This record gives sequence, C-alpha cells and structure tokens, in this order.
Amino acid sequence: MDNTILKVNNLQTHFTSDSGVVKAVDGVSFKVAKGETLGIVGESGSGKSVTSLSIMGLLKDTSGKIAGGEIFYEGKDLTKANENQMRKIRGNDIAMIFQEPMTSLNPVYKIGRQLEEAIILHLKFSKKQARKRAIEMLTAVGISRPEKIVHEYPHQLSGGMRQRVMISMAMACGPKVLIADEPTTALDVTIQAQILDLMRNLTKLSNTAILLITHDLGVVAEMCDRVVVMYAGRAVEESDVHSIFKNPKHPYTQGLLESIPKIGVRVERLQSIPGNVPIPSNMPEGCKFAPRCKFAMDICWEEEPEFKEVSFQHFSKCWLNEEVSQNAKKFVGSTQC
Amino acid sequence: MQKNLLEVHNVKKYFPLKKNIFNRNQEFVKAVDGISFFVKEGETLSIVGESGCGKSTTGRVLMKLLEPTEGRIIFEGQDITDLNDDQIRPFRKEFQMIFQDPYASLNPRLTIKEIIEEPLIVHNFSKEKRAERIEGLLEVVGLNKYHSDRYPHEFSGGQRQRIGIARALAVHPKLIIADEPVSALDVSIQSQILNLLKDLQEQYKLTYVFIAHDLSVVEHISDRVGVMYLGRFVELASRDKLFENPLHPYTKALLSAVPIPDPSLKRERIILKGDIPSPANPPLGCTFHTRCPFAQQVCKERVPEFREIEEGRFVACHFAEELDGSLDD
Repeated sequence: MDNTILKVNNLQTHFTSDSGVVKAVDGVSFKVAKGETLGIVGESGSGKSVTSLSIMGLLKDTSGKIAGGEIFYEGKDLTKANENQMRKIRGNDIAMIFQEPMTSLNPVYKIGRQLEEAIILHLKFSKKQARKRAIEMLTAVGISRPEKIVHEYPHQLSGGMRQRVMISMAMACGPKVLIADEPTTALDVTIQAQILDLMRNLTKLSNTAILLITHDLGVVAEMCDRVVVMYAGRAVEESDVHSIFKNPKHPYTQGLLESIPKIGVRVERLQSIPGNVPIPSNMPEGCKFAPRCKFAMDICWEEEPEFKEVSFQHFSKCWLNEEVSQNAKKFVGSTQC
Repeated sequence: MQKNLLEVHNVKKYFPLKKNIFNRNQEFVKAVDGISFFVKEGETLSIVGESGCGKSTTGRVLMKLLEPTEGRIIFEGQDITDLNDDQIRPFRKEFQMIFQDPYASLNPRLTIKEIIEEPLIVHNFSKEKRAERIEGLLEVVGLNKYHSDRYPHEFSGGQRQRIGIARALAVHPKLIIADEPVSALDVSIQSQILNLLKDLQEQYKLTYVFIAHDLSVVEHISDRVGVMYLGRFVELASRDKLFENPLHPYTKALLSAVPIPDPSLKRERIILKGDIPSPANPPLGCTFHTRCPFAQQVCKERVPEFREIEEGRFVACHFAEELDGSLDD
C-alpha cells in the first residue's frame, strides 16, 4: 500500500485539567490513500475533532498533548516535527476547513488579503500573482463576482459564501490532504448540497484526499469512500462505506444507523441507543460502549476488546466479533428478534 | 372529523429596521408575511424551512410571545389576538413551548424541581398537588425522583431536553409548540427524544406544532407539513403527499438536497443556485423566482396565490399543476 498519504497509528491525545487527565483520543488508527475521502463519524465528545487538531499540530494553545502514537504524512512522523516544519506542512500539504467559517476568517482583513497571505507565504508568489491566483480560486469555488469579493470583509458575505471562501483558501496552495471538520453543519440543506458538490468536484480534479469529520451519516454516505466510526476517543469500526451501511459489525454503529430517521422510510418508533455518551472523567472499565450495548457480555465489562480485522479491510473493536463468527451471528440474530 | 384547535388567519410579523429621520418610508424585515393555516386536535403539524424563513417567528407569534403585526389567531374558537398579558394567562396553560437549546432555556440557578414547579405556581396549583405532579412528570419523561434537587448543569443535553418537556407538560397543555427540539442533540439521543414526544402525544392526546429544518425528522413525526420560504408558506400538505409528490419547486429542491444515509443510492439532485434573499428586501413576484429552476416571466411579476389545488393540499406556485410528477418522467 504505497499510495497511503496519511497514516495515523494508535494516536493518543490527552488533556490535563484540574480534575486529572482527560483522554480525548485514546487509540485511533487509520490510513488515507491519495485522492480518497475518509469519513470520521461520531457524536459529540467522541474525539473526532481532537484527532484532526492533532494531525494539524494545532494543540499547542490548548492543554492537550499527543501522549502516544504516530502520524505519518508521506512517511514523515508529524508528531516529531517542530513548529517550523509544521508551519510549512500546514496550508501547503495539509489544509483544514472548519465548521463555522466566521470564527476562522479574520474579521478585520479583506477576503483578498486573507487568501493571498497563504499563497505568498507558501508558493512564494508576488503580490500581483497572488491576487490573480486568489481570483482564480474564488471563481473555482463558484463565487460569481470575485473581483469585488476580494475587497469585501467576511461579515459582508452569507454563511454559504464564507464557507466557499474557506474552501478556496484551503485549496489555494494545492494541498494533498484536506481536513474538513463538520464543513456543512452550520449550513442550510440547500447550501449544504452546493458545498458538498463543490468539495467533491474540486478534490476530484486535483486528486486531493479528504478527511471528512462529521456526525451526519447522510453526508458520509454521499461523500466518503471509507469510514471510521469513533466512540469515546476510540475507533470502534472501520471499513468501506458500503459495508458500514449494509453490514455494520459494531453494536454502536448498528445502533447509530437504526436510530436515524430516513427520508422515505416510515417506522412507528425509532430504535434508540439507551443512555448517554460516557464522560471522560468517568470512563467504564472494559469496553467503553458496554453500558449502552444490548449485547454486552461479562467480558465486555472487564476487558477492552482489540481493534481487529473481522473481514477483508473491515475492522471492529468488539468482543462479539472475537467469538467464532457463526456463534456471534446466531447471538446477534436471536437478540434482535 | 376532528375540530380545529388552532386557526391562524393571514398573520404577519414585521420587524422595523433602524429609523431614518429623513426617510419617511420605514423599512421592515418581513419575517412572517401573511400565513394562514389550522391545526387539528391531536395532530402534528410541522413547519419546515431554512434559516431566516420565519418558522421560529411563527412559533413565537403563536405563543403570543410576539405580537403579530396583522392577522388573527384563534384558539379553540376564541380569538386570542388582542388579549393583553393578564387576559392571555389562563390560555397559556393550554399551550406550552419546548425550545431548541436545552442549555439556554433552563435557568441555571434553579433546581429541576423549581424549574418544573414554576408554571404550576403561576397557574395556582396547591403545594401538595405540585409535589405529586413533579414526581409524576419526572417519571413520565424518563428521569428519576432523585434528579429533582439537582441543577441543569449536572445534566446532559438529552436529559435537559427531557426537563424542558416536563416543564411544558406540567400544566396539562393541549398544544405544544416545539421549536427545533432535537436539532442540538446527538443522533443517538435525538431518537430517544422523538420517541418520547410520540409516546406523550398518544398518552395525553397532545397536539404538536413542530418547527424544524431536518426533513427526515419531520417525515418521521408529522401528520401534515408546511414548507416556508421567506416568511410565507409555499406548500402545505399531508406528510405522505408532500414527501411522495412534492409540487412546489422549492419543496422538491429541499427534499432532493437531504443527504440519504445509503451509499448505494444515487439520485438526481436539484442544486439550487445562490442564497436565500434577505427578508428585508424580498424579490418581487414569487419570492422564490431568483433560485427557481422553472421560473418564467410571470413569476417575476405576480405573487402566486397560496391555493388549495386538491383537498387539504395548498401550493403557492403558478405552475403547480404542470410540475406535478414532472420529475417522475
């Protein structure tokens, strides 16, 4: 597998707080191939955003620290890179777009200046060339009057326009990996459709890999090639997008899929996962999902299962998958009836 | 035939923009610009739309938290539009509201017991009755008695929403206006709350006005659905008709924009161009014509009437009949 561009290996990111160490990410591994879209799904507090900040090396202003594991970008371990090296990689090789574009655009600078800053810094363009490139990028993201927009401030734009500007900024230096953290969550559905469409077309054109972080399984189904499901700081399942939706192995993934209402599918009652996501200061022993799992067995409460390949390129972190697969199937079948 | 619990006749809510002393023509944001509908006893009517379409303002006007600029609101046959604060109070018992943000809608300095007790005190329940009622309510919404002395910050988002629901139910309301009650919640919690709302409706014969932007949630919970765009209804129909055969181009686009959690499904998608126009300066004619893929000259000139094209099915589009089933060919 030499087309892997980004590889995260047993990443652990811990935060120190007054009440002790919070293990926000505690053992996450995945690979992203060139041009591929990998989705990371999870609910709030599952550690998906912290994973992306760890990759970008953006933890230094927080109490967070990478406590273990490696992040390989084109063979280089980013956890060992210093700030100078990271600065070269950020924006140039790995770019990021955030959920709320207003908080990540500088309100006191004009759009043009913000776009050109990165271009001048990374691509060593002259001011004039940078302006030309900025206008090209804005055109590419479907902004209709880019020559005017470069002279405007972020607050003069609508939410959808701002997100387009963010994308053009992220794509300006031709990154190989784009990390998109809930890029459409703050947008209306019709605008979301526009932005997703745009991301798909732009990245296909430049063969950029996307790490798409979201809680919306609909967005995952539409955008991703492969999916990692996270729960309580851990990756609990990983596979290609079709297997995740057709044949989920982990009870959490199953529960998640059953609990969303689907357009065109009418049910009287929705299935739901009982209870709440555990708080980091009070993590259960053993499998972190055991308290909410309808299949929980004795061993689940005592020992944490490993993240293992259960079928080709399909990984799951569950004791059920450890059982002889036939038995497990019977068990799952009988409890569901 | 169920009777109408709530009727809304041509309600408008305009918010004035900053006054300019030299300019006599006061400008307004037309948040709600002439809507009419009714809600039957025991049903769930959903109001969907994107941000800025006026759905939340509608909810607030129905609750009489905002005075309508124009129009009438009839509750159980009585016109409540012009009642003042004192006169409206006995009616408030009949309709209650559930809010979107369970973090902002509970007073952080009150215990759960005090939060739920407040409406009971306002509506003169005796002390013994109050204690009994609070205990019962906590159980109904899936919380425990020992939760009653805790403060909101000790609860998760889903639990807080349960507390908000308990507070709304406290005074035995007939109508509940729920403004985005699940959109701040995680998916696994969202389904718990949706199920709870359905159970409560059955148990207490509640009527819901459900305000939301998530169409899959709306399809799950509603009997009838109204779609709003820039302060007006563009379509209102039974859930089945609206989802299976939407007539208004905006409804069609909205439905096709929802990402479906099934990767093997590939659909034709209508991608709307541009953004929602500002409600302070809406387009002339049909307000949707700037983004409508089927727009014609007449759409720029004439406001389409919100008309009943078959029983119980209202559409505001000049070409509703022609567009019927046009996507199926």
